[in-house]
Amino acid sequence: MKKIVCLGIIGTLFYGYTQLTDSKKRYIKELVRQMPYLVPRYFV
Amino acid sequence: MADYDVIVIGGGNGGVSAGALLAKQGRKVLLLEQSSAIGGCCSTFEKDGYKFDVGASIVEVIKPIEMAFAKLGTTFQQEVDLIECDPVMSIIDRDGSRITLPKSIDATAQIISSISPDDGRRWYQYVELMREFTDVALEAFFPVAADTLADMAKMFAKHPTFLKFLPLFAKSYQDVMEYYFKDERIRKAMGYQSLYFGHPPALIPGMFALIPYTEHRGVYYPRGGMIQIPEAFRRCGEKLGMQVRFNARVKKVKVRNRRVEGVVLSDGTEITAKVVVSNINAKTLYLDLIGAEHLPALVKTGIRSYQYSKGVPMIYVGLDYTPPLDSHHSLIAVTPQGVNDYWFNHVEKGILPENNFGLICWPTHADKSLAPAGHHVLNLIPEGFYRLSGTTWDAEKPRFIERTLKALDRFAIPGLMEHIKVIECTSPLDFERRLLLPEGSIYALQQDLTAAAVFRPNARSRAIKGLYLTGSSTHPGGGVPTTIASGLIASNLIAQHEQ
Repeated sequence: MKKIVCLGIIGTLFYGYTQLTDSKKRYIKELVRQMPYLVPRYFV
Repeated sequence: MADYDVIVIGGGNGGVSAGALLAKQGRKVLLLEQSSAIGGCCSTFEKDGYKFDVGASIVEVIKPIEMAFAKLGTTFQQEVDLIECDPVMSIIDRDGSRITLPKSIDATAQIISSISPDDGRRWYQYVELMREFTDVALEAFFPVAADTLADMAKMFAKHPTFLKFLPLFAKSYQDVMEYYFKDERIRKAMGYQSLYFGHPPALIPGMFALIPYTEHRGVYYPRGGMIQIPEAFRRCGEKLGMQVRFNARVKKVKVRNRRVEGVVLSDGTEITAKVVVSNINAKTLYLDLIGAEHLPALVKTGIRSYQYSKGVPMIYVGLDYTPPLDSHHSLIAVTPQGVNDYWFNHVEKGILPENNFGLICWPTHADKSLAPAGHHVLNLIPEGFYRLSGTTWDAEKPRFIERTLKALDRFAIPGLMEHIKVIECTSPLDFERRLLLPEGSIYALQQDLTAAAVFRPNARSRAIKGLYLTGSSTHPGGGVPTTIASGLIASNLIAQHEQ
């Protein structure tokens, strides 16, 4: 059951992402790309 | 006993405003400027009787500047003769057609409605949202320290209405603009302004979509050139005892046990101080002037992770005729998507575009004293960037100038080529050499959401005690009012933490 729920959430997120405009996708991609730096940047 | 209470490195707006405000607190302040003029990018130079602005071309959203001068016991208007620019913007398309937008919100609505009645209606909705957001941001966000999560929590607690605008941070500039404006011709008037913050509309947070609105709150030009703003702070600071030393380049910031002790100049002179305020690029400060050996591992990773902001070329021309323009600022029309295409197909690949766009600044429209009688000055900001593929700026510059001027002559400024008397160009590489901006980065570091507020280098350094940052590298980022806001923030923090 848990697996089905997880797959459902992932599928919904994936579907939602494919429905976004190119502009929104680029914005989200760039945010995700920079995410690993947020913690070190907070301490600068 | 230290030589000074405070040493300020760099005489840009952030440094000179912080220096003056700290002198007002009764501190013994020394400001060190590597060049022979104050102001950095917000400066003015003269050639053959024409005065050109180095970079910054107007000032708007002036509240933080007014707050800084008020703290100095004077007013912005008393210290600088501000000329209001109205119309605020003219947009020139490649077919020669123009849209000229006046300061008045209603008159602008009429112009937009004449092109697209729906967009004209939505203009009012956009203005309403941005008016409220700008009012709150000017109180809650711009002149306030944003170093820690606690600072942010205080900010939201004091101004809960600010929370209402959080969705603007989750959207891009382009999302906001395309939501309100559907007509291609209107979008062409709203696309370029995202580059004022150094990023294309797809990559910059929606909060920055306030700029096409804030222009209608008032755009000003200081009589005598943009240098009048930092000069006014210098004048105020010197009256209060601040010392300014030109041609004094700082080679090292002396640090012991993670506390500043002073600076070493490039000629070997050592000057001690309890507090150092840095108005230079934060990467240069931490990695070159202080040295990675003095930094905790997390800070080293963080500071190295920032990308430099965009650089721009500037072309300055002195003319013996009145250029056929309508406004102090004219834009070559480009849609938000057009700016994205330029970014992803040209900036990221290092290929200068054949059909360029950019900003035309006509300061003698406001202030005739900048050129000989009957003559005019244009400061052109065609788009460009530091890293070129397969060539260098020194090699490319003559071709770039010719291509830009010929294109402008063809559809935007007829007669331009025949009337040029003086010409100068500063490439991003020249900005690096002359103003020590790494990669010509006019806004120091990237200005997206992941390098904003608590994620931008702190105004009060947590790694090095007694070290404070001003200028584009720290919150609230690059721009004339924002860097002056950083001077205000640093001086407030020093008053609070350095007795």
